[in-house]
Amino acid sequence: MGQTQNDPPQLPDELIENLIRSLEHTHEQECTCDEVFAVVDQYAEAEIHGDDVARLMPLIKQHMELCHNCCEEYEALLDILEKSNPS
Amino acid sequence: MNTRTNESWLDELRSPGPVREVALDDLHAIVQKGLPYALSRWLSPEDPLFTPLVEEVTQETLLRVLDQLDTFEGRSMFTTWVHKIAIRIALTELRRKRWQDSSLDELVDDEENPAPERLMADPQASPETNAERADMLARIRRILEEELTDKQRQALVLLGLQNLPMEEAARSMKTNRNALYKLLHDARLRLKRRLAAEDLNAQEVLSAFEGR
Repeated sequence: MGQTQNDPPQLPDELIENLIRSLEHTHEQECTCDEVFAVVDQYAEAEIHGDDVARLMPLIKQHMELCHNCCEEYEALLDILEKSNPS
Repeated sequence: MNTRTNESWLDELRSPGPVREVALDDLHAIVQKGLPYALSRWLSPEDPLFTPLVEEVTQETLLRVLDQLDTFEGRSMFTTWVHKIAIRIALTELRRKRWQDSSLDELVDDEENPAPERLMADPQASPETNAERADMLARIRRILEEELTDKQRQALVLLGLQNLPMEEAARSMKTNRNALYKLLHDARLRLKRRLAAEDLNAQEVLSAFEGR
């Protein structure tokens, strides 16, 4: 049967594949971008101090694996902290 | 300059007159020193946009910091909190710009070089294997049609197909980045539960995609 004008556009294979791939990191409880933003400064400082952030803040770590934008912002913050105050 | 405690920063930025001006000048210098490290993955310091962007973001950051001073909870150094605000402002702008530029490039590319047709079957695989893979893909498509709402589908297309940054996709859907993340989380959860209910695991499904 052909697609009618009212049908939603078909999702391309690559997009579906990425969606399925993301299920591996999908959990019932996840932080939102706002929740991550609220603590990402604390999280970055903990990382710089050598703390085990994955154990201390597992939901934040989980979110970073799924959210490219938050991960980029976190890495940019690490860059500033590491390079502004080299030990 | 950066020897103030968090409390000193807050006190001085809340003080009227020259005390506040000095603190603002110092904060301006700290943001301007830090931002280039954050932007270097995105933009060359030699790029003519670099210096104006740093100045623009710094100004916007100081305004936002003053506006949101009461929300600082002291869980990090004050300057780290300020840097995260600067990064959010800078990367939001850079993502928007990068997306606009790449959309224009793609428009030209699409007209000049139409995308190649995707190979639908693996010539190395047996006809039975190809048939099984095609069945799996059709089954997943059916599941997606049944599980995803129109909004979830729209978000996936904007982000995954049109490559909009989260903020831009959220804006075009008249929502915000946080709500968009929740919408996609709901979509992933529904899909994960449905695959489990159908006794399918993600690896099994992915192998069908990998064998296209």
